[in-house]
Amino acid sequence: MKLARIGAASALALAAGLAQADSTVHFWYHFDNADNPMDALVEEFEAANPGITVEAENVPWNSYYDQLYTAIIGGNAPDAAMVKMFAQPRLVEMGALEPIDEQLAAWEGTDGLQDNLLELTKAADGSHYYLPVQYVVLYLYYRADMFEELGLEVPQTCEDFRAAAKALTRDTDGDGQTDVYGFGFRGAKGGHDHWASFTLARDGVSLTDGLSSEAGTAGTQFVADLFREDKVFPPSAPNDGFQEIIGAFKAGKTAMTIHHIGSANGMAEALGDKVSAAPVPECGGGRWTSFGDESTAVLSSASDKEAAWKWIAFLSSAGNNARFNEATGQLPVVKSDSESWSLHPQRFVEATVDSLPFAHLLPNSSATADFVNTVWPTAMQRVLTGDITAAEMNEEITALFDD
Amino acid sequence: MTDATMTHAQTPDGSLPRRALSRRVLPYAMLSPAVIVTLAIVFLPMVQTAWMSLHDYVLFRPNDFDWVGLENFRRALGDEVFWISLGHTVIWMATTIPAQLLLGLATAMLLNQPFPWRPVARALIIIPWALPSVVIALMWVWIYDSNYGVANEFLLRLGLIRQAVPWLADPDTALAAIILTLTWQGFPFFAVMILAGLQSIPKSYYEAAAIDGASAWRQFWHITLPGISGVMMTAVLLRLIWVANSFDVIFVMTGGGPGYATYTLPLYAFVKARTNLDFGYGSAIAVLFTLLLMGVVVVYLRRAGKAVQ
Repeated sequence: MKLARIGAASALALAAGLAQADSTVHFWYHFDNADNPMDALVEEFEAANPGITVEAENVPWNSYYDQLYTAIIGGNAPDAAMVKMFAQPRLVEMGALEPIDEQLAAWEGTDGLQDNLLELTKAADGSHYYLPVQYVVLYLYYRADMFEELGLEVPQTCEDFRAAAKALTRDTDGDGQTDVYGFGFRGAKGGHDHWASFTLARDGVSLTDGLSSEAGTAGTQFVADLFREDKVFPPSAPNDGFQEIIGAFKAGKTAMTIHHIGSANGMAEALGDKVSAAPVPECGGGRWTSFGDESTAVLSSASDKEAAWKWIAFLSSAGNNARFNEATGQLPVVKSDSESWSLHPQRFVEATVDSLPFAHLLPNSSATADFVNTVWPTAMQRVLTGDITAAEMNEEITALFDD
Repeated sequence: MTDATMTHAQTPDGSLPRRALSRRVLPYAMLSPAVIVTLAIVFLPMVQTAWMSLHDYVLFRPNDFDWVGLENFRRALGDEVFWISLGHTVIWMATTIPAQLLLGLATAMLLNQPFPWRPVARALIIIPWALPSVVIALMWVWIYDSNYGVANEFLLRLGLIRQAVPWLADPDTALAAIILTLTWQGFPFFAVMILAGLQSIPKSYYEAAAIDGASAWRQFWHITLPGISGVMMTAVLLRLIWVANSFDVIFVMTGGGPGYATYTLPLYAFVKARTNLDFGYGSAIAVLFTLLLMGVVVVYLRRAGKAVQ
């Protein structure tokens, strides 16, 4: 009896508390950067929007989507979250996203976004669910000093690239061991961007069409040969992820690698003027690089969708977006913030802008997530270790997208 | 509740049945919290897994939960990766556990000898066992690193290898490298258990054997081994189940790669369910593995039980 009375009292207190706090926005994001500015942004937002509390949670990247999907099914989804395009088809299929077309039409910040971004992040059904918050484009990092020492030119084609990588793979101290490898290839999860630049660039080849053709197979074979024949990747390449390729480049173990501007400042800090950047080489008649997108979205299960929208719009507004990107090291989506952008050395911004014309997103298909997470890494590793052939790998990927 | 039961069980002579009843009910009442918790957090998910394995259930299509009967199992048996993973699981269990047992036995015998600082040595030996698996995995990833790892540095300096070996990136060495890591992690468990067993063997047995002229080897064979066989059997059983199910070290060290070189069945079930979100198929693999493991455990208990007796 007494217990029931206490229970009733706490329920009342809870209800009173809820009524007073109006609404809370649970927000999920992922940042690698340790000095995370999210608290300052949250504080500022809460001051400007009394009655809305933001609870921002930094979820580790490696299991971000596993956790997000599970939370959605379990009914514990956040109200708003940072999301990438490759996850959009699945999230839409799950009915987990809230369309934001009306909000975008009414919002004064919409016109201030970089051209074409809203077009790129539009869903297959024609609705908008994503509000862009940052972007990057992948390009080639190279050791300018090593290129100069060996009298090499920045590679413009796959053939140049191969020749340069071979020349750069050297035993510098004469102990019979290779000390520098030509290219730091990412063979673990996330490395599909590297492979894609050598494969999907080719004429008539894309993930959904022509991958199993002769040209498509030649792309995968090119990557396999670089590792198995020319030995221009470090031997650990099949397992190397982001940390390993960036670490090896900074330590001078590799002379080239592919990544985006997010790692530019760290590289410049470690190597100074010795590191420079250029668009990825042309392979088989075309160029292909990956457009690294990041947006925010309101989830359909959000308790207060208006509050959640206000918060994500705040992050993509002039000024706030710049501060957000200073922490992530990526590029702002707001035009005015881009114009005043001075965080990265010019050569890296240039490489990004020069790569934009041939930057692509992965197909807007439910199969893309499996391609990124399991099919590509496993198949690539098997090709690199000689377990399967390049043609078998491409057929496996073709089958995945055909399903 | 008690009142109701009492009225129900009322007899002309009230006291005796009442005492008998409470004696009968009491053990169940005391056990029930543990049983209920076990049912809720172990049994229920198990039943749920078995139920899911009979359905086509992909998490990102939450509304489709179609009954497919044994289709997932049929698919698993025709799946190349299932057999690769099963093969690795067998190698994984058949090498890790004997290696841990032998290393643990040797360590326990050493720690049972009197020497200075023995308590400190006994405490230190626990460290690998006490460390979280993730820490161990990350530590060994660095040890095996082909650019900076101490394993390569050490072997190069000793002249045992001429080129740095990418231990975890080479499919021929990756599984062995992880088995070595897990052996290192798990041997203290055997050492501690066997040490406890060794200390329970009365000294007088050895004295009597020595008087009869038994060699050290015969003493070990006829006194030590029978004395610790019960402990060893239990320890092996526990490790059998733990090692079979453990995939955290593999997951952190290689994620199953390169290719499928370090896939084991629990890892495959996890990747299918958690990363590919295919809970139906993932559950089917988990169920198949549970059945296989149960078979192994039953055979082991029968044979080991006889041997110990």
